[in-house]
Amino acid sequence: MLDSAQTVHVVDDDPDVRTAIEFLLEARGLKVTTYESAAQFLKSYDPAAPGCIVLDLALPEMSGIELQRALEARCSVLPIIFLTGRGDIATSVHAMKHGAADFLTKPVEDGALVAAVFQALVRNNELRAMRAERDRITERMARLTAREREVLELIAAGRLNKQIAADLGTVENTVKFHRANLMRKLDVNTFADLVKMVERAADFKKPAP
Amino acid sequence: MNWIEFAWAMMAAASLTLGLIHLLVWFKERSRYAHLAFFVLASAVAAFSAFELSVMRASSPVAYATAVRWAHVPLAVVVLSIIGFVHFYFDAGRLWLAYAAAGFRLLALVLNFLTGANLNFLEVTALGQSTLWGGAVAAFPIGIPNPWQVVAQIGNLLLVAFVVDASITLWRRGEPVARRRAALVGGSLVLCIVVVGSLAAMIVTGTVKAPTILTPGFLVVVLAMGYELSWDVIVAAQLAAKLQMSEVSLRASEEKFRAVVESVPSAILLVDGNGKVVLSNAQAHVLFGHTGDELIGLMVDELVPARLRSSHESYRKSYALDARARAMASTREVYALNRSGTEAPVEVALRPIWTAGAMYVLVSLVDLTERRQMERSAVHQRDQIAHLSRVAMLAELSGSLAHELNQPLTASLSNAQTAQYHLAQHPTQPEKVSKLLAEIVKNNRRAGAVIQRLRSLLKKEEAQHHALNVNDVIRDALRLLHSDLLSRQVTMDLDLAEALPQVDGDRVQLQQVLLNLVINAREAMDDRKENRRIVVCSRLTERGGVEISVADDGDGVPPQDLERIFEAFVTTKSHGMGLGLAICQSIAEAHGGRLVATNNAGGGATFRFELPVRTAPESNA
Repeated sequence: MLDSAQTVHVVDDDPDVRTAIEFLLEARGLKVTTYESAAQFLKSYDPAAPGCIVLDLALPEMSGIELQRALEARCSVLPIIFLTGRGDIATSVHAMKHGAADFLTKPVEDGALVAAVFQALVRNNELRAMRAERDRITERMARLTAREREVLELIAAGRLNKQIAADLGTVENTVKFHRANLMRKLDVNTFADLVKMVERAADFKKPAP
Repeated sequence: MNWIEFAWAMMAAASLTLGLIHLLVWFKERSRYAHLAFFVLASAVAAFSAFELSVMRASSPVAYATAVRWAHVPLAVVVLSIIGFVHFYFDAGRLWLAYAAAGFRLLALVLNFLTGANLNFLEVTALGQSTLWGGAVAAFPIGIPNPWQVVAQIGNLLLVAFVVDASITLWRRGEPVARRRAALVGGSLVLCIVVVGSLAAMIVTGTVKAPTILTPGFLVVVLAMGYELSWDVIVAAQLAAKLQMSEVSLRASEEKFRAVVESVPSAILLVDGNGKVVLSNAQAHVLFGHTGDELIGLMVDELVPARLRSSHESYRKSYALDARARAMASTREVYALNRSGTEAPVEVALRPIWTAGAMYVLVSLVDLTERRQMERSAVHQRDQIAHLSRVAMLAELSGSLAHELNQPLTASLSNAQTAQYHLAQHPTQPEKVSKLLAEIVKNNRRAGAVIQRLRSLLKKEEAQHHALNVNDVIRDALRLLHSDLLSRQVTMDLDLAEALPQVDGDRVQLQQVLLNLVINAREAMDDRKENRRIVVCSRLTERGGVEISVADDGDGVPPQDLERIFEAFVTTKSHGMGLGLAICQSIAEAHGGRLVATNNAGGGATFRFELPVRTAPESNA
């Protein structure tokens, strides 16, 4: 279920805490990279790399919340587990609203942190899978011509070939031709699959979860 | 009784009376030999006048000769007493002349009894009668002169020489009194001796047929001498009266002096050139626990504690060599030793007083015991207020301080649990655990250090000055603020000069000042959205002190408040008592520095204070 390429990024300005968390996670067989500041993390940030972030809230220069905002802007799929010594409710609510995976306070029990990290890694996998599917659908949709897209919309709306021909002011055979073409371009075999794909594409147009 | 008898009796009486007066004077003051000599002279003149009267009234040549022979006895006494008088009264004249004159006169007296009828005549052959003024009759001699009388004449010449010599010497002394005395007494003596001597010689040789009338001449001398001597007595009496008056005024001024000395609030000692106390006031008696009588004559060195005695003595001796008004305690610690053995710190002022060529030192001492106690209690109060303010400041920082402790605790817990996990998963590989244990130890020490820092700041202790490295103090204090500043997104820059000399100070109080200044700086930037930045700097100043400064990027201090903010209960914040900077200032001042606020050219304020560099390292600091 977990990807061995997944890396846990630990961002904390306190070297002792950083080392302790590194040891803790490495003992569970996880790949860990540590950073002493948000800026250092951003410098080596790879949007495609799998993993999650264990992030200290209070950091010099750029705070944990600011880093979360920056990653959100870059459509990161790395789930963030906040780890803080002095989190107030307002900050934690803000963090959770913006998609934080968890919000833990120091000192943290190893079980709680490890569980949160594993959950985050699973979530990262899911997110990455979703992202991959969306990319696939988006890419196929992009292959369609404008006429084919019109036909697809009418098919998805449940209209028959004959009705579509009438709607578009053409003959039924032409509609059939477009239909065969777009089925091939979108790599679907059945009408049911076609409808499902159109629904997914519509979902992706909404803001990402 | 004819007038001659009456006159000669009167002259004798007058002479004797004058003589007796001066005998009385001599009795009162035995060293005045001139008065004794005068008494002898006057008595001799009185006696001589009696013999002279009997000479004048002699009825036969034999009686005449006998009377003359005996008249030589008082005459010799007259001569000897003149010599004595001149010697004692003039305090001049050659002694050999005096002895020679006296010797010749005594020799003449001996010859007077051994040769002829008397010194003047070998034989008186007849008596003439001369009728004097007023019908009185006196005898004059006719006879053969005695050649030995030349001895008396030589004696007379020597006497004149002695008197003239003494008078000249006296005259040369120049004082008006001495000159008058030389002229009057010396002159009358010389005149008298010359007249009397030559008259006697002329009568003896028969050149003049007249009775020997010498007494009036002698009386002139007696009167001249008596006048001079009385003058002396009068002058002495006047002097005595003056002396009495000056004694009265002296006593009055002494009483005034005593009253002043007693009313001075400080203890006063008057010490003579040898270091002995000659005068003291009531305050000195209280200070030293001695009565006034005990203090008089006491060596002033005895009044300082034994351990300071030898240095005090050498100080006192060197002071006597270069005595001027100065304070003693300004350069050295001085203590007064009470008789009960207790010591009191004193401030001493010295002032030399010169009287009649002798030096005295007026020592005024102020007991500093009370002042020292007040200073101590002021220091104690300042320490207590500083402590309270520290506690309040740390209470405000409690959240951040908890975080400072939380970090190592977090790391320790995590490391410990990882170790447990390792041992459970890989019981055969304990070597991985030792790395974790090392981390745990490190973090426990770190937590311990935080607690240590807090405890020292919370401890209620009197300030203790030690040699300090300013940069260590700064780093130590700022560690406590790390998470507070972090949570407020304040950047802290340290600009610490290397190799600074050590300063003398109380670590806790200096840290308190720093914490206070940094918290103020942070609060001054609370309204800023970004670029919150504090720079803490240490450097060596041009004056050789070590300066610590805290600069912020806030709005700065309104120029009119730059001085006032250090006053107690003055605050620009919405919360707080306005005591923080006042306490910081008192701490800075107790460290020999002064806290100053300035506005930066680029915005914000800088607070700085300079600490003097530790000078000589004390062996028993």
